[in-house]
Amino acid sequence: MTATVRQPALRWAFVILLLTSATMAGLLIDPYVSLTSQAMLYVLAVELACYRLGQLEAAVCALGAVAALNFFFVPPRWTFAVDQREHLIALAVMLLVATLTSRLATGMRRETQAARLSEGRARQLQELATRLSASSSAHEVRALGQAALAAAFGPTACLALTNPQDRLEDTPALAPEVRAGMEYCLRENAANGPDSAPDVRPRTRCLPLGEQGRVFGAVAIQLPGAQPSESLEHARALASLLAQALWRLSLNASMLAARGEAQRQEVLNTFLASISHDLRTPLATILGASTSLQTQRDRLSPVQQARMLESITTEARYLGTLTDNTLQLARLSNPMQELHRDWESVEEIVGAALARVRPQDPMRRIRSEIPANLPLLRADPVLLGQLLVNLLDNALKYSDAAIGLDAEVRQDWLELCVSDRGRGIPATERAALFRPYSRGDRSGQRGAGLGLAVCDAIARAHGGTLAVTDRTGGGSRFCLRLPVEPQHPLEEAP
Amino acid sequence: MSLRVLVVEDDREIRTVMQSALAVEGFEVVTAVSLSEAQALVRHSAPDMVLLDLGLPDGDGTELVREVRQRSNLPLIIVSARDQEAQKIRLLDAGADDYLSKPFSIGELLARIRVALRHRGTALEPAVTLHELDDLSINLGTRLVLRAGQPVHLTPTEFKLLARLVRSAGRVVTHRQLLTEVWGEAFSAHTHYLRLYMGQLRAKIEREPAEPRHLLTEIGVGYRLATA
Repeated sequence: MTATVRQPALRWAFVILLLTSATMAGLLIDPYVSLTSQAMLYVLAVELACYRLGQLEAAVCALGAVAALNFFFVPPRWTFAVDQREHLIALAVMLLVATLTSRLATGMRRETQAARLSEGRARQLQELATRLSASSSAHEVRALGQAALAAAFGPTACLALTNPQDRLEDTPALAPEVRAGMEYCLRENAANGPDSAPDVRPRTRCLPLGEQGRVFGAVAIQLPGAQPSESLEHARALASLLAQALWRLSLNASMLAARGEAQRQEVLNTFLASISHDLRTPLATILGASTSLQTQRDRLSPVQQARMLESITTEARYLGTLTDNTLQLARLSNPMQELHRDWESVEEIVGAALARVRPQDPMRRIRSEIPANLPLLRADPVLLGQLLVNLLDNALKYSDAAIGLDAEVRQDWLELCVSDRGRGIPATERAALFRPYSRGDRSGQRGAGLGLAVCDAIARAHGGTLAVTDRTGGGSRFCLRLPVEPQHPLEEAP
Repeated sequence: MSLRVLVVEDDREIRTVMQSALAVEGFEVVTAVSLSEAQALVRHSAPDMVLLDLGLPDGDGTELVREVRQRSNLPLIIVSARDQEAQKIRLLDAGADDYLSKPFSIGELLARIRVALRHRGTALEPAVTLHELDDLSINLGTRLVLRAGQPVHLTPTEFKLLARLVRSAGRVVTHRQLLTEVWGEAFSAHTHYLRLYMGQLRAKIEREPAEPRHLLTEIGVGYRLATA
């Protein structure tokens, strides 16, 4: 219960002021009015005291008023003696009225205050619910909860969430006994208080943030002296809101994780399905040719035998390339994987790539035009080599005429292009060209599905791009653009 | 007496294929399936050459390479898969003679073995001082480099670099080995020196620098002077 005037000294001063004013006014109008009117002045003073002050002050004021009326105005005046029974009754009634009014007023005021408090709490719950519904992290929920608790129960109120191991997080501000109380809440998923061990501190209550059988943390509050059960109820309501918000967040998180996992699974399934298809064909050839040699060698002509051996070798080499590409794609799709970059010479990488593809190019269709004195690149040479081998392999596979390989520096970019005279790639298919296993089997050729995806991933890992354009006169031109970094000077020329 | 080759390989199929292919070529083959077995065989069966597979169950082989190098210049060829780059380079820098990437053809394997055997004993005998292939001739003694009969003028550093490759002709020489031996220990990470000087050498020696015949690039590992 709180009075309108808060400071005790001020309240007593107000009592004295009221009584003095009533007495002065009574004395002033004394010549003109009867005792009844003067008594009414004191009743007014007592009413005012009831309205503005606490029950104790109002009672004292009533007693004082009766005493003052008796002393100043009831004959014989200037004494506390009362000569007529009528006056005695009047004084007694007045005391009764004053006391009753005071009790009524205080009761009413208390109810109003309670109503206002519960209205404020209802509003707080509503606001918190709105804010929580917009929150997107446990961190935010904690901040909102801490603020709401502090607003409702003062700065000693605190809140702690559980960490991923379902233990209470380390909050430095938490007193050990409060922490122990919270841990009890987590264990039991129940509030602790006087009737449930351990009792933390007098009037401190810990409540779990529990929802659907899961506990997300705990709150600790200091119960006020007045209306402790309503306060506890409010604390429960706040805790329940916070727990619901945390439950919603954890549901969202597990839903996202499940969706991500499903997507990964789908990508992996597509990949495995495609790669096992790409593996099965060459394996079938190898197995067919080798078992044929095993069982029918006597009946096969030397030419036929040589052809079978040739098939085995070709298919095995193809499987090697496929394995390399798969390996590089797996490496590049791992975000933790760093490139092994060093200063590299384009001429050398081209030279090494040509050395690798020449066995498949007996007619020497590939013609390279690499100018001297190209700048060095900061690059992973193994990956760039693989990129070039893939592009050249494709060009050899998908075209029959000459294949161009040229390099050029344009401002801060180096362009390395492979041009063929194949059938070209329709504009509608270009976007899909660089996605793993998106290749349409238009040509009846196999194996390019992974190769271009690897090329694109390698280009992007180097901060560059890979693009395909049509050539005038037919065919495609695949161009790799790589950034040229400031060249490292020779510190000395030994 | 035939030369004895120690094949260290834990996969039975490859081991069998290598064994029979080498036996056909007249080598005597001993096999080991682990590093510990290989160490014992190196000590007790006196092989003339070792083919060491990476990714054995009991270690990465660095220890074996060090041990072999401390005592002899027994030729040692690393057989590695493509995803074992770092390990391969470490073993080459530790003193392995050459490497071969899986999958390989028997032809490649035999070529590597021939080169390694040719260099056998170079620590005791005079090092290779003369190199000739196609129209290129390099004489380290007279410091004369001829291309199609015409002398090629090289700067001292270019010559040092070429000479280092000639001494290991046919074998890979790692970036680190070239940088430390030509420029010095402090330059072991200055790959760009190597790129620039190799570019200059190719421009002077090769007909088509972008598709070299002599100065071959082993991507990410080093260089090799072609011998065939």
